[in-house]
Amino acid sequence: MGKKRLARAFKYLWLTVVSFISVFPFFWMIIGSTNRSIDVTRGKLTPGNYFMENLNTLLASDQGFLRSLLNSAVIAVLTTILALLISSLAGYGFEIFRSKARDRLFSVLLLSMMVPFSALMIPLYRFFGSLGKTPLKIIGLNTLPSVIIPTLSTAFLIFFFRQNTKSFPKDILEAARMDGLGELAIFFQIYFPTMKATYAAAAIITFMNSWNNYLWPLIALQTPDKRTVPLVISALGTSYTPDYGLIMTAIVIATLPTALVFFVMQKHFVAGMLGSVK
Amino acid sequence: MKAKRILAALLGGIMMLSMAACSNDGKNEGSSAGSSQAGEETADSLTIWAWDDTFNVAAAKTAIKYYAEKEPDVKVNVVSMAQDDIIQKLNAALSTGTYDGLPNITLIEDYRIQNFLTSYPGEIKELTGSVDPSKFADYKLKFMTDVDKIYGVPFDSGVTALFYRTDILEEAGYQEDDMEDLTWEKYIEIGKAVKEKTGKAMLTLDPSDIGQIRIMMQSAGEWYVKEDGETVNIKDNQALKDAVAIYKEMVDSGISKQVADWDSFVGAFQKGEVATVPSGCWIASSIRAAEDQNGKWAVAPIPRLGNNEKSVNSSNLGGASWYVLENVKGADTAVKFLAETFASNDDLMNDLVSEISLVSTLKSAGELENYKKENEFFGGQKVFEDFADWTEQIPAVNYGLHTYAVEDIMTEAVQSIVKGADMEKTLQNAQSQAEAAVG
Repeated sequence: MGKKRLARAFKYLWLTVVSFISVFPFFWMIIGSTNRSIDVTRGKLTPGNYFMENLNTLLASDQGFLRSLLNSAVIAVLTTILALLISSLAGYGFEIFRSKARDRLFSVLLLSMMVPFSALMIPLYRFFGSLGKTPLKIIGLNTLPSVIIPTLSTAFLIFFFRQNTKSFPKDILEAARMDGLGELAIFFQIYFPTMKATYAAAAIITFMNSWNNYLWPLIALQTPDKRTVPLVISALGTSYTPDYGLIMTAIVIATLPTALVFFVMQKHFVAGMLGSVK
Repeated sequence: MKAKRILAALLGGIMMLSMAACSNDGKNEGSSAGSSQAGEETADSLTIWAWDDTFNVAAAKTAIKYYAEKEPDVKVNVVSMAQDDIIQKLNAALSTGTYDGLPNITLIEDYRIQNFLTSYPGEIKELTGSVDPSKFADYKLKFMTDVDKIYGVPFDSGVTALFYRTDILEEAGYQEDDMEDLTWEKYIEIGKAVKEKTGKAMLTLDPSDIGQIRIMMQSAGEWYVKEDGETVNIKDNQALKDAVAIYKEMVDSGISKQVADWDSFVGAFQKGEVATVPSGCWIASSIRAAEDQNGKWAVAPIPRLGNNEKSVNSSNLGGASWYVLENVKGADTAVKFLAETFASNDDLMNDLVSEISLVSTLKSAGELENYKKENEFFGGQKVFEDFADWTEQIPAVNYGLHTYAVEDIMTEAVQSIVKGADMEKTLQNAQSQAEAAVG
């Protein structure tokens, strides 16, 4: 009995330490946003009352923080909806429909996960740059679509959907086909509602990736009015004398949407990562 | 069977990639040559890219105000971005020859400009005739001029200085006179006394940033590369060896406090944990942010290498300059803007002293009214006049193409020497690594 209790005490102690380590950066970030820069560098750990001042400085600066929030939101929401639609169709197709080339095609697709984005960056940049001289200018460089399009279909998401489709009961498909439902209708009316947990998990991952995406928006977007949140935060950060209070405030605000999306979908997220149909 | 299939796919992928790379190269040359003739010379609006809202961006805004009085028809915008972001965007755009959205004028750090000039010939506009090089401190010209051509407008001085706490040094038994004309050897001696009597560290050192070594090396007129900007100069670089030896001594003697990043570097002196800050003059604004230390600081020239005859009590850390992009519409208008503002305007420089504590590299700046003001925070010292004087004594070196590439290798080498590795052997290794990396 005593031994068991001791083991439990250690377990909780360990969990406390680990959760402290994971939560501390967030705590530090929130505390930092309420203090002046000099208090942040001096390591002050108690809340101050400079949050409003930091917020006002942030909104008053020429960085266009509000505008960047709007841009990020538009990009992240559109990316999430479109990427989920495209990748789930592809993942579903890969698993449900049989053909000789299927697995070969799939391994090539998986190989593309190994090509780092930095290697694709210049060709992509050149491609979108060349659209600037054509009627397709509306999706060329320095437009929001130019940020959205390259991230719509990712090998990871397709793989993720295919894996989860493996546990999707195929008998339902047969039944639906027999009742005369078309393939697209089967996808939207049967597959989609069944796989909600998978969609939720994929939505969180895609939204977070898109919201935090840095490298591609950085080079694709040129004018200040198109910038996304990570770009603005990056611009705030380099300076001989950085204003840490201001940066922390910007980061706190930038973290809110992803935190919100996560907490709303948290229940589904865990289920989705474990496999949706039990 | 499966392995074979994967291998085939992999090979196919590589082939496709390399084909794409080849065709890119070909097109690149064609398109950049084509558009360099097509670029229009004047424009009624200009864009400037710069980093740091409280410094460079603020300076550009003041310059715009001055220019608006002269040329109300030309609209100039400044876009604030992180320095690394500017580099990334310029590289992407210039290497593909896509000029949409590029600025007319951009700020580039002095350590990096040679790389741009060499990698993208014809992209950065020659300013000979519009900018008079003789007006600027010599050290700023070395890396942006080619024989008698000049490619940029020098901006801020990164002149180094030894900021020190008069109260802490007094406690250790040193007066202001003792801090003038120091050698690093003497500095370490003082550091030991400070440590013993006050318990405080003399300075902070960041193992991941060896700016301190760059300061010492340039004070003797040497750099990681030789005069030509390309030949790696590590194993036979006496100034570098002296600098590394001093660095090791600073660690071994226990007078330094180790910090992990910029944040804790700034935090250390703002919390009053160190007696001195040997750094670029631009750190002054961070020092002044600790208002409770008002009047407790003074500034002396940076120490020199006692063992090295060439070393002087002046060096440089950081600093940047303005450049015009040749192939972006409005290059001539941009040149005119720079010529009227940063390249000549004393009034602008005078304003920038009070607005952003700028130490200009215009030689005439030392005569300006605001430079002669006594600074209360630094005990009434005329610090800007001192900075301006020291700026003119900075030994000129060619930063060359590879400062940061070599520095990555050197950072590691310095750490192993500090831990006890043989200096000659380690530097020999670093030399071959650097040659391989930049060759």
